[in-house]
Amino acid sequence: MKRYILFLLAALISLSGCSTLSSGDGESAEFFAMDTVMTVRVWGAAEGTAASMQALARDAEVRLSATDPGSEISHLNANGSGVVSEETALLLRKALELCADTDGSLDISVYPIVKSWGFTTGEHRVPPDGELSVLLENVDYTRIQLDGNTVTLAPGMEIDLGSVAKGRTGDMMADALRQAGVMSALLDLGGNIQTVGSRPDGSPWRIAIKDPGGSGTLGVLETSDAAVVTSGGYERYFTGDDGTVYWHIMDPSTGSPARSGLISVTVTAGDGMLCDAMSTALFVMGKEKAVDYWRSRGDFDMILVTADSEVFYTAPLMERFTPGAVDKYTYRVIDDD
Amino acid sequence: MIKTRTWIFITAVCAALLAVLSAALLSSRGEGTVVEILQDGTVIEEIDLSRVTSRYSFTVTWGGKEPGSNTILVQPGAICVSDADCPDRICVSQGWLTNQAAPVVCMPHRLIIRLKSPSGVDAVSQ
Amino acid sequence: MNVKRLAEMALLTAVALIIFIIELRIPALVPIPGVKLGLANIITVYAIFRLGPRDTLLILIARILLGAAFAGSVMSLLFSAAGGLLCWLVMLFMRRIVTQKQIWVCSIAGAAAHNTGQMLVTAAVYRTVGLFIYFPALLLAGIAAGLFTGICAQLLVGRLRLGER
Repeated sequence: MKRYILFLLAALISLSGCSTLSSGDGESAEFFAMDTVMTVRVWGAAEGTAASMQALARDAEVRLSATDPGSEISHLNANGSGVVSEETALLLRKALELCADTDGSLDISVYPIVKSWGFTTGEHRVPPDGELSVLLENVDYTRIQLDGNTVTLAPGMEIDLGSVAKGRTGDMMADALRQAGVMSALLDLGGNIQTVGSRPDGSPWRIAIKDPGGSGTLGVLETSDAAVVTSGGYERYFTGDDGTVYWHIMDPSTGSPARSGLISVTVTAGDGMLCDAMSTALFVMGKEKAVDYWRSRGDFDMILVTADSEVFYTAPLMERFTPGAVDKYTYRVIDDD
Repeated sequence: MIKTRTWIFITAVCAALLAVLSAALLSSRGEGTVVEILQDGTVIEEIDLSRVTSRYSFTVTWGGKEPGSNTILVQPGAICVSDADCPDRICVSQGWLTNQAAPVVCMPHRLIIRLKSPSGVDAVSQ
Repeated sequence: MNVKRLAEMALLTAVALIIFIIELRIPALVPIPGVKLGLANIITVYAIFRLGPRDTLLILIARILLGAAFAGSVMSLLFSAAGGLLCWLVMLFMRRIVTQKQIWVCSIAGAAAHNTGQMLVTAAVYRTVGLFIYFPALLLAGIAAGLFTGICAQLLVGRLRLGER
């Protein structure tokens, strides 16, 4: 009997998540890819692991960039049809599903509109209504045909996977790191955050959410093994001659910058591509529709910031989100019923 | 056998030496806000803003695909890009690098100015 | 190994484990990673003087494995194992040159060795040497903690008869 004392005593002791190790600097790599700066920090992995992520980003860039004339997407846009790689077809299929699921709030065929507003070149302008209505006729994701790896676009149609490409690339990097046995990594793909595991000391990652109306932070979100993606009007915008601010997130139904009353949307979930797509789609939907949509899906969480200085965040985030700018915003919780 | 008195002496001497050594090492590090300036992923300059006493500026040039230069303005506790000849000049419009928030970035010139150790958070979603 | 001895060792392991886990729940005195009292060390020091090297090692390994299983992660296991083994080696050596009234010296040496082991593993795992600027401070804290646990262990050795041959 006595020899079981140890195990009995041990079994009585409850679990606790503490550990005493200190967190070192890990290994980090920084590179420019997909029109942005990417920072990869990896702990406890073989040398060169962080830097090897650059190859994944370059590969995605070469396939997906709508502005690079050599990319698969550019070929599609130029020829109206073509055969794409397995990975691009997979991404396209997932993207089209999300377009359908959001009822077109996300539409990967909105590219001609974005171009006409000058967001691809930096030569911003407000297109005349007539031009937009002509372009809008070709904005309709349902007219993109995907048959195996063969893609066919309707005449005049152009697609851009910018709303999902970085999210998908983050997923691929995270998967590669997990397969390499990495238990702790932080990927910053130009503000799209993707985490692998938790901090090296076992505590959750602390991700600040940018305040859309200033240079500070909206709050801090604790997260593990998940992506955090924010879309905001502040990212890319220009001010028209009349003083109106026009931003790069387009409403596919109007062909103009989305004016839904939201100025920033943060989405967190395990799936980085879902986060990326949702941050854009929910921004277009506006608060009411976004809340309904969240209740119908439930596989992500979100933080919405409205133009009248209110912050709404979903109930499951209550334990993980710490509001930061309480003097500036009113924070409210969205319940799941 | 070594006397207890001797052991006390040895311990005290070791502790005193370690105290002096750690004080020297830790004070040399300082708790300031250190920013680093990166060009194409490489750190080219590191500045401890808490030790800056006067206002000064310097120019960083880039000879890559889209060559040009950025003028960086440093003053006690703050840093920004004050002038640049890149087409979008986003780096200039970003203003001062503030605590916690995003780094100042000039994409065409592959330039990044960021806090070396962001306070309490690991990354910024933006 | 007879049943009495096994039971005594199991009891010491259990006590060490309980102390270890209770200490995890107490907020750290100093908010620096790696700095802690290491109260479970009292049992290790006691065992070194009362039970001998082999049994001490068994207790130590059991405590580290169970401690990691109940309270830590795979990484923390690596850290305590490295610290624990170096601590054990150094204390074995120190035991030969100190008297029963100088157990605290042995404990201090052990604590310093523990910190050294953890530091080396940290540097190896995270491939960084920058951490070493904290090393003297960590050792200093180790001396203080070792002195405290050593005095506790010395009192224990003087009074407790558990494990005596």
